[in-house]
Amino acid sequence: MAEPPGSRVPVSGAAPGSGRYHKLYAMLLDAIPSSVLLIDPQFRVVSANRNFLEKARRSEGETVGQRIDDVFPSVIRDQMDLARKLRTAFDLAEPTRGERMIYRAPGLATRVYYYSLIPFTWQGAVEHVMLLLEDVTEQVRLGEEARRAERHLASVVESASDVVVSTDTDGRILTWNAAAEKVSGYTRDEVRGRFFADLCSAVQRAAVVREFAGARRGGGFAVAEWDLVTEAGRLVPVAWVGSTMKDDTGCVVGIVVVGRDLTERRKFEAQLLQSQKLAALGVLAGGIAHEIRNPLTISSSAAQFLLDGADDADVRQECAEKVLAGIRRASIIIENLLRFARPGAHADMQPVDLVSGVGDTVALVANQAKLQQVKMIVELPDLPVRVSGVPSLLQQVFMNLHLNAFDAMPAGGLLRVSVERTGSEGIVRIGDTGAGIPAGDIGKIFDPFYTTRPVGRGTGLGLSICYSIVRQHFGAIDVESGEGKGSTFSVRLPLLDAGRRP
Amino acid sequence: MTESGAAVLVVDDEPDVCWALKRILDASGILSLVTASAHDALRLVGRERFVLAFVDAKLPDGDGLELARRIQEVVPGLKIVLISGYYYPDDADVAEALAAGVIDGFVSKPFVHDEIRNLARHAIDRQ
Repeated sequence: MAEPPGSRVPVSGAAPGSGRYHKLYAMLLDAIPSSVLLIDPQFRVVSANRNFLEKARRSEGETVGQRIDDVFPSVIRDQMDLARKLRTAFDLAEPTRGERMIYRAPGLATRVYYYSLIPFTWQGAVEHVMLLLEDVTEQVRLGEEARRAERHLASVVESASDVVVSTDTDGRILTWNAAAEKVSGYTRDEVRGRFFADLCSAVQRAAVVREFAGARRGGGFAVAEWDLVTEAGRLVPVAWVGSTMKDDTGCVVGIVVVGRDLTERRKFEAQLLQSQKLAALGVLAGGIAHEIRNPLTISSSAAQFLLDGADDADVRQECAEKVLAGIRRASIIIENLLRFARPGAHADMQPVDLVSGVGDTVALVANQAKLQQVKMIVELPDLPVRVSGVPSLLQQVFMNLHLNAFDAMPAGGLLRVSVERTGSEGIVRIGDTGAGIPAGDIGKIFDPFYTTRPVGRGTGLGLSICYSIVRQHFGAIDVESGEGKGSTFSVRLPLLDAGRRP
Repeated sequence: MTESGAAVLVVDDEPDVCWALKRILDASGILSLVTASAHDALRLVGRERFVLAFVDAKLPDGDGLELARRIQEVVPGLKIVLISGYYYPDDADVAEALAAGVIDGFVSKPFVHDEIRNLARHAIDRQ
């Protein structure tokens, strides 16, 4: 039976009529991008496909019928341990699969191959061994490049001073960088697979889950402040920004949250707040001294009347009552003062009634108003207007706005204070009849250190602190002002029971 | 003699302070009138002839020292004692007002009754 011309495939007991298959196989062999050799038991090459001949830069005539020692350089044979492996394949019919071989031909770049030796058994005997050689240089190079890029990205994330966490779409932690380990005290192995929300403070968990669900639907979330519970059980305030990871089809496959430890900033803010409070107390001191000394005077005088031997029982009764009333009044003033002066405990959000908060501030500044001949008109609703907030911080805002209003009215005037509620917001308005803010300055008033006061009289931090506190409460602060018409500041805070009108 | 016969005017917006001052003076047989505002005080000094006025430093409708100046303009020579919980005795404002003769004395709150009595006696005896 005649071999089809051009075929390099040997024929061993092929069935009649298989010529067309020989042709087909020959075509296939030449088409595949791997080198294929058939080797006989004498280690002679029986056939070699086009890919091999091209790679080896040999002609078919120089290859077929040659011993493998003449076809392969010894460097390759030794590295592959080819003779032994061929022997194993022929004697035991055992293949060698997926071995790696690296070859650098003189003057050429190193190439990487994967090779397999597969015995071809016919009627119980190994007739040929097929040697498959695949050039994987390009794949290896791409793989290495990808790994290098990955290592680079990983080291960027690792050396970031911010906490970088990635989670799956359910919020289970996948990666946890060095900063996260440092802030939380948990190693990545300890948190991998845990829900991110479970590492946040218990009261915020529901909010975290909600934001993650929102992020999963696409979009991510803007700055959210959630406390991280450390391994030691401490709460660390962290500002988080979330974004989604998407695959090539735009499907959300994960969520990345980046967090900044706010501990230092909080400490600084607390110091700033405390010094602001002390400055406010300095301003209030005159009014408070005046206000405390009046009840002291009454108590003192009533006691002196008693000592002088007050004549009848009614007078004695009257004097004793005045002593007590005076003491009571003085202690209420001192209590208000203490409430304001004391550094806020931990800055925990809790339900705060704006009506009583503003009422407390008004009580504290009423003396100052009297001293400065400022008439106060206070309109507070009967029912509470509840927001979520840190009471001491909100009181600081109201106090700063009141003191600014007094400052704007050195020659007296009218201070209008009100608390209102709309469908979703509680609004505190504090308006003065002072000089007003020049139009050109309105944009600057919330900048730190902007001040209209003479040097030494104000830090200028008051309004920037108000702004920062209100933003922390997810609210807004704005001002309406006209030169010569006075200014009205409005603080808007989201209601706790939004929509539910009392 | 004044219309009401009172020798002393008490100006303080705190009713119980007025109660105490009036009671001290009453016990010494000194008649007094009390008022809570600067405006009323000016009206009264123009109408009556007081020997002495006790004036609170901070009034709802004006400053005590300012009131003292206005009183001096209306009734030169009327003795004025500033009573205050706002100033302290060696306060610069007080020292200045004393030196300028705007006020004749200063009593800080809380006060000792003897001091009030003596100031009133002294002013009445000297007239």
